[in-house]
Amino acid sequence: MWNNKIDQTTNAVTCPGCGLSCDDLKIVTSNGRLTSMHNGCVRAHRFYDTAFSNIDRTPMIDGTPSSLDEAIERGAELLQKSCSPLFAGLATDVNGMRSILGLADRCGATLDHMNGDALLRNLRVVQDNGWFTTTFTEVRNRADLILIVGGQCIERFPRLVERVLHPAEGLFSKPDDRKLVLLGPWIGGRVPDLLEHLNPTLIPLELEALSDAVAMLRALIAGRPVNTGRLDGNLGDALSDLADALKAARYSVICWSAAELDLPHSELTILGLAELAKALNNESRSAALPLAGTQGDITCNQVSTWQLGYPVRTRLQRGYPEHDPLLNRWQDLIERGENDLLLWVASLSSETIPPSCDAPTIVLGHPGMVFNAPPALYIPVGVPGVDHQGHWYRSDSVCSLPLGKLREIGLPSVSHLINRLHERLQPAASEPAGDDPC
Amino acid sequence: MLIKLEGGRIYDPANNIDGEAGDLYIRDNAIVAAPGENETVHRTYALAGKIVMAGAIDLHTHIGGGKVNIARTMLPEDQRDHVMAKSDLTRSGGGHAAPSTLAAGYRYAEMGYTSCFEPAVLPSNARQAHMEMADTPIIDTGGYAMLGNDDLLLQLIADGAEQQTINDYVAWTLQATQCIGIKVVNPGGINAFKFNQRALDVDDAHPHYRITPREIVAKLSRALHELAVPHPLHVHASNLGVPGNYLSTLATMEAAGGLPIHLTHIQFHSYGTEGERKFSSSAAQIAEAVNNHTNVSIDVGQIMFGQTVTVSGDTMAQHANHNHAHPRKWTCMDIECEAGCGVVPFRYRDKNFVNALQWAIGLELFLMVDDPWRVFLTTDHPNGAPFTSYPHLIRLLMDRSFRNDLLGEINPDAASASHLGSLQREYSLYEIAIMTRAAPARILGLTDRGHLAPGALADITVYHQHEDPEQMFAKPMLVFKAGDLVVEEGRISKPVKGTTQVVRPEYDPAIEKEIGRWFERYHSISLQNFGISDDEMAEGIGSRVTVHPCREGRP
Repeated sequence: MWNNKIDQTTNAVTCPGCGLSCDDLKIVTSNGRLTSMHNGCVRAHRFYDTAFSNIDRTPMIDGTPSSLDEAIERGAELLQKSCSPLFAGLATDVNGMRSILGLADRCGATLDHMNGDALLRNLRVVQDNGWFTTTFTEVRNRADLILIVGGQCIERFPRLVERVLHPAEGLFSKPDDRKLVLLGPWIGGRVPDLLEHLNPTLIPLELEALSDAVAMLRALIAGRPVNTGRLDGNLGDALSDLADALKAARYSVICWSAAELDLPHSELTILGLAELAKALNNESRSAALPLAGTQGDITCNQVSTWQLGYPVRTRLQRGYPEHDPLLNRWQDLIERGENDLLLWVASLSSETIPPSCDAPTIVLGHPGMVFNAPPALYIPVGVPGVDHQGHWYRSDSVCSLPLGKLREIGLPSVSHLINRLHERLQPAASEPAGDDPC
Repeated sequence: MLIKLEGGRIYDPANNIDGEAGDLYIRDNAIVAAPGENETVHRTYALAGKIVMAGAIDLHTHIGGGKVNIARTMLPEDQRDHVMAKSDLTRSGGGHAAPSTLAAGYRYAEMGYTSCFEPAVLPSNARQAHMEMADTPIIDTGGYAMLGNDDLLLQLIADGAEQQTINDYVAWTLQATQCIGIKVVNPGGINAFKFNQRALDVDDAHPHYRITPREIVAKLSRALHELAVPHPLHVHASNLGVPGNYLSTLATMEAAGGLPIHLTHIQFHSYGTEGERKFSSSAAQIAEAVNNHTNVSIDVGQIMFGQTVTVSGDTMAQHANHNHAHPRKWTCMDIECEAGCGVVPFRYRDKNFVNALQWAIGLELFLMVDDPWRVFLTTDHPNGAPFTSYPHLIRLLMDRSFRNDLLGEINPDAASASHLGSLQREYSLYEIAIMTRAAPARILGLTDRGHLAPGALADITVYHQHEDPEQMFAKPMLVFKAGDLVVEEGRISKPVKGTTQVVRPEYDPAIEKEIGRWFERYHSISLQNFGISDDEMAEGIGSRVTVHPCREGRP
């Protein structure tokens, strides 16, 4: 049985600790406890340690322990009463998201992921322009020049170097011959050892100056007349050298993490990077590698896109999907008081507690969550890849990897709970009772 | 539950029934023989004067997988302009060129389709393709796994691997990806594009592996033949959309060496270089070759005028065409040392010479290929047009005066450059039933559907007779899926779930060691996490597997 098997020892565990989704972890468990782990990075250790150290599955209604049946009853009541629910967080696996979308359609909810800001920075570029991207295995085997934009890629994706940028061997490009260029806030900052070992070329600049630098790079690639001297110090010359290197590369890769580019209108910077990769393909080969996927943002968005036709930030209140990347931002909806209920789903991390909200809040959350104020309802949920099997997308949106089951302590999956809530909802007066729509 | 469909005019070409009135009986999920006198018929539908056919089968429609989701992401306007509200039975959704999975399933069923096949499943994206298809209600689905641009296969061929090794790899791929066929897209070309090569004709050597598309087609078509996989190699030939590409298409047919081969969306591969604009129809040459090669089958990939989006694994061709994007946005992707994809929205215009001639070329092919068992009705959804245009396409094939009226409206130079006006042929209902039911079932090896004999799955569509075939085919009276009445008068009455159709040729598991070594060294996924099990399909992905037999008597 795919759903009930517990893997006690396994050599190919997929880690949902970040969007790299390394699937080579070797994990041994015994009686529901983690005995050993190999290949895990610092984020993986944090993910599994937190999951395994939290086993309380008691639901809480207004901070008071309850049975699961009572909790489901209370959740159904809250959903029933709500006219304008907001379903946010949405850190779950594919089947969790499928169930959430079914319930959202039923309830007329608005949907946004906790990483919606980062997600939409990239997606708005795709919506307006499209892009030219690549995937991990291609980069491993083909890249001869890698441009990393920003300064947090190792912090956010700890095994990026060994898994993607600089593997032991590559089919068409020797890893040791690869050129690495770091364009980002390296002024006075220390480059992580993992990158330092690759002898990178540093082009330091503040993130605020990135947009201008990318524009100049594009102009240089396009062969436009450019006054490189207008930028401070050696930046213009460094960009000019970088443009030459990009043009000379056989397969260049341009990499960024949209979550790091937390500046107003940084989608325009990303647009510049995407256009840069596209333009290079007029003569040689190049592709972008946007890094994302943490907290299931790609997973959530993929399912939303195929079932609703739209990414997150979509509203179902009028009986059909309406997408607006600005109006349906969860933080703003709460701030403006547009929701009368918040359903916060966050199964991957104990730290992603719900925002404070005037409306009642239902939390389907990690079993280790500690709240500032008790929500109207909290049901601890199983952690995907620990308590139940599932599917999970890594950064490049192509590979949906299977997540394993490592223990059985009775924590229900998001999908299971949402389906129970859905079943408990009384049909609206206009609807006949019957099977749920497929 | 025993259901009687009484007195309808039955079109069942697999059993040589051509419109004769008769009765059908459904018990549970299957068609059964007439019951004994003592048996109770629980429900009778009086269908005198109605048209009864098996549920329709689309053997080439892009309904699931990463490239479709990219198209949805890139075209919010397609959703905005085609809203589908929820009902008491159905979920909300929307979209026209790139519909949501739910909208696609409902609309296919509402048109009388009961089985659809996604022709471009990237092995590393197979889970997503199946998850999307699992969320496409009512219809049964299946996929063709893409090979022939993956570095592992190209390396094997370049190293002179035995045919048996290729066969094992192909069979392993079918099993790992839960697919029913193998497709090759621009053989070797997607891979060559990653080495910055911009064209690769059938006898050109690949820039790195030094092998040719001809060799790739030969190896893969032989593999499927020797493995006794019913569906022949499904080929998107070299040089898609390039004037003069009919020669590549003819060469690709020859590359199969007489073994079965299916050339898909052949309209896009039937172009000559005659005339002032160096763009002409070579439909006559292609049709003649198809008529003369009984090992060859085709689907057309008809275009229709209007807005759509092109989604393809052919990164080389899609990148070459990105300047034609309408609206002006496009996406390409290199994927996992397997293949790639390109998504380019496009608006076909009837006053544009090239588009108008493309429309005429597709129709010429339908009308000049003699054997309806070897030509299939497709628009290569959504590349030529969304699948919702099928009823209109059927009218074009069945109604010559309607066809000629439209021919009078297109770009006049294109109209005069085409033979279409001189073609008299009109398809009969029997021939439509062949090309949309009996023939696709036969070429996919689906013995349980596409016909109406006892024992078949009760996938049945009943149409009102109408003088306008477009209206008739757009809105069936009744659709049964595996015995469930899922559509009444063109509207969903019961949203059920379909299953996934696969084949399982045997192979020597030793191949997994070789593949495992390759994964270990070069891939970013572990081999253990690559293949999809039957349990995972049923319980995780959400679609049970139906295994279809391979051909009997392996050569």
